[in-house]
Amino acid sequence: MIASPNGSSPTARSSASASTPSTVDAPLLEIRGLKVHFPVKGGIFLRAKASCRAVDGIDLTIHPGETLGLVGESGCGKSTTGKAIVRLVEPTDGEILFQGRNLAEIPRRQLKPVRREIQMIFQDPAESLNSRHTVANILEEPFIIHGIGDAEFRRKKALELLERVGLTAAAADRFPFEFSGGQRQRIGIARAIALEPRLIICDEPVSALDVSIQSQVLNLLLDLQREMGLSYLFIAHDLAVVKHISDRVAVMYLGNIVEIAGADEIYRDPRHPYTRALLSAIPEPDPRRKRKRIVLSGDVPSPINPPPGCPFHTRCPHVQEQCRIQKPALRTTTEGHEVACHFDL
Amino acid sequence: MRLNPLTAKKLRRFRSIRRGYFSFLLLCGLSLISLLGELLVNSRAIVVRYEGKWYFPTYGDIIPGTTFGFDYSYETNYRDLRDRFRQEGGDNWLLMPPIAFNPYENTPYEGVFKPAPPSWLGGPAGHLLGTDTTGRDIFARLFYGFRVAIFFALAFTVLTYLVGITIGCLMGFFGGKVDLFGQRLIEIWSNIPFLYTVIIIFSVIPATFTVPVRIFILLVILVLFSWTGMTYYMRTATYREKARDYTAAAIVLGAGTGRIIFNHILPNTISTIVTFIPFTVAAAITSITALDFLGFGLPPPTPSLGELLKQGTQTLTTAPWIVSSAFAALVFILTLVTFVGEAVREAFDPKKFTTYE
Ligand SMILES: Nc1ncnc2c1ncn2[C@@H]1O[C@H](COP(=O)(O)OP(=O)(O)OP(=O)(O)O)[C@@H](O)[C@H]1O
Ligand SMILES: [Mg+2]
Repeated sequence: MIASPNGSSPTARSSASASTPSTVDAPLLEIRGLKVHFPVKGGIFLRAKASCRAVDGIDLTIHPGETLGLVGESGCGKSTTGKAIVRLVEPTDGEILFQGRNLAEIPRRQLKPVRREIQMIFQDPAESLNSRHTVANILEEPFIIHGIGDAEFRRKKALELLERVGLTAAAADRFPFEFSGGQRQRIGIARAIALEPRLIICDEPVSALDVSIQSQVLNLLLDLQREMGLSYLFIAHDLAVVKHISDRVAVMYLGNIVEIAGADEIYRDPRHPYTRALLSAIPEPDPRRKRKRIVLSGDVPSPINPPPGCPFHTRCPHVQEQCRIQKPALRTTTEGHEVACHFDL
Repeated sequence: MRLNPLTAKKLRRFRSIRRGYFSFLLLCGLSLISLLGELLVNSRAIVVRYEGKWYFPTYGDIIPGTTFGFDYSYETNYRDLRDRFRQEGGDNWLLMPPIAFNPYENTPYEGVFKPAPPSWLGGPAGHLLGTDTTGRDIFARLFYGFRVAIFFALAFTVLTYLVGITIGCLMGFFGGKVDLFGQRLIEIWSNIPFLYTVIIIFSVIPATFTVPVRIFILLVILVLFSWTGMTYYMRTATYREKARDYTAAAIVLGAGTGRIIFNHILPNTISTIVTFIPFTVAAAITSITALDFLGFGLPPPTPSLGELLKQGTQTLTTAPWIVSSAFAALVFILTLVTFVGEAVREAFDPKKFTTYE
């Protein structure tokens, strides 16, 4: 059923430096000081007792045609960032500028036109596809919602989309649970590209899949990006997957961005102690280049009660007095490389 | 369009549970037959051929006795007419239903005290199960009592679910204050004592109301006191489905509240509700019978199992056929419904068939 659209090994994205968009372009998406705090409720009247600082003031930009990788451990706020962009969660503070409009301030009802421009691919396609609907229903729904075309047109579109993601037309009248994980994710991708968006939030789109089909799905995403000029915010919890697909990579820790750099650069020259620890955990195929494994002590602090100062100071091997008091801002070290650390380590 | 293979699988499984499936067919058959009851259990003839003309008295207005040469102008007694035609031996004939009594008429017999025993125990001819204390045919009472009970229970189920699902779904979907106030109101509401309310309301309903209106009021009262149970289930089910990614995907596509509720959340929650239906129907039949037994149920002279049971307990020794046939009928119906319920639950059990492996 799957016709792999490409070879078996994923194209190493980071080597194609020609495709790295020039920073002269106006950014497609610009996030400034985004905060998402969830109230932690208790008592019979469910009053907010504390807040969970899932995202605690981050800045990000995504340029047209670019893939920004967002990595970090479980619970650091990656999904929440993605969900805030599509307003699945309400931003507490900050701006989400998309093509110059602040999405954080648009009333929900008026978001509908923007929905065509920003779509999302979810981690587990078994969860994100309604099992009561046929594949054709699922792929026709975007057009129905936005009142595009008649039934015949929508059906035609659904079949086109299936072909585009490497499935046959026979899939149309089947139900999602009749497919394998990889095929389901293709259906999820087909739905996301149906309205020809500019930006797609990919929330760990391959981490629920078998390793053997991960690269096929990643290649599909790359092909679609090339054909449609898409931008991706590609969320993943390890740097290995992100390396192949991203132009730039942002590393997140406890609701904060600790380092942003080009995908090549961050691998070659990680500057934040947290990034270094993450990278050292990737198995290195070449034994001569083996990095020293950095094992962090302690657990990730709770976002309900984050530590003062640098969010990473409780686990940082280089912690100084200043780190406990003052929160480091992102600062540019070299062109296109930003680190949130007080020191040049 | 193709039937969802999971649904098809459940239906196949239901059919394979013989006892429940046959009970289901039998119940459906009985309900359909009861809809045509006027042709089967009735004091009016099905067809009459009189003086070269055809008459079909079953449905429609009464045909006065004078039409057929009797000397009275109230409704023809077709049993008498049949006997007369037989005696005359001419070309006139008529066809009576298999049970030639309606549930309201009390037929007097000379030399037989009411209640009359079944015909095969020496009672007057035609009364298969005898008559009740006012001389009404018990088979006819049971037959129409079943019809009233089953359709009352179905109407009750539909209305209760409609209200319960709507309110529970809204509470689960909007959450927050809606949910909080909803829950507190439901807690208060479900503490109102049902039986006393029914007694009070029934004592103030004017006797001038027609029987159908009174039945409808009873239905509404029962529904008002029963919808809360469904909200508990719907509320949590909606919360759960709303938090799932397919709902998020629909929101990201720009789907509105209506589309999300009707196209996504309801289809995913209602499949479990199917398994509750037979038990709700059984509960409704039980409670309407109990209310009738206590005298606060269906208004007389509506045929009802509970009313027969009440008569039966009062005449336990003198007319045991009343209580035994009413009791047997009630047990028979409830057993069928319960068999269906067990089979549906087994076939549709979401624990057995998870949607996602
Ligand atoms: N709706 C919510 N209400 C309250 N807290 C939430 C909610 N969603 C997320 N959180 C909390 O916010 C924090 C960040 O969650 P998030 O899902 O963004 O993490 P993540 O980086 O995507 O992790 P993972 O890799 O496990 O997906 C977690 O501590 C989580 O418990
Ligand atoms: Mg996540």
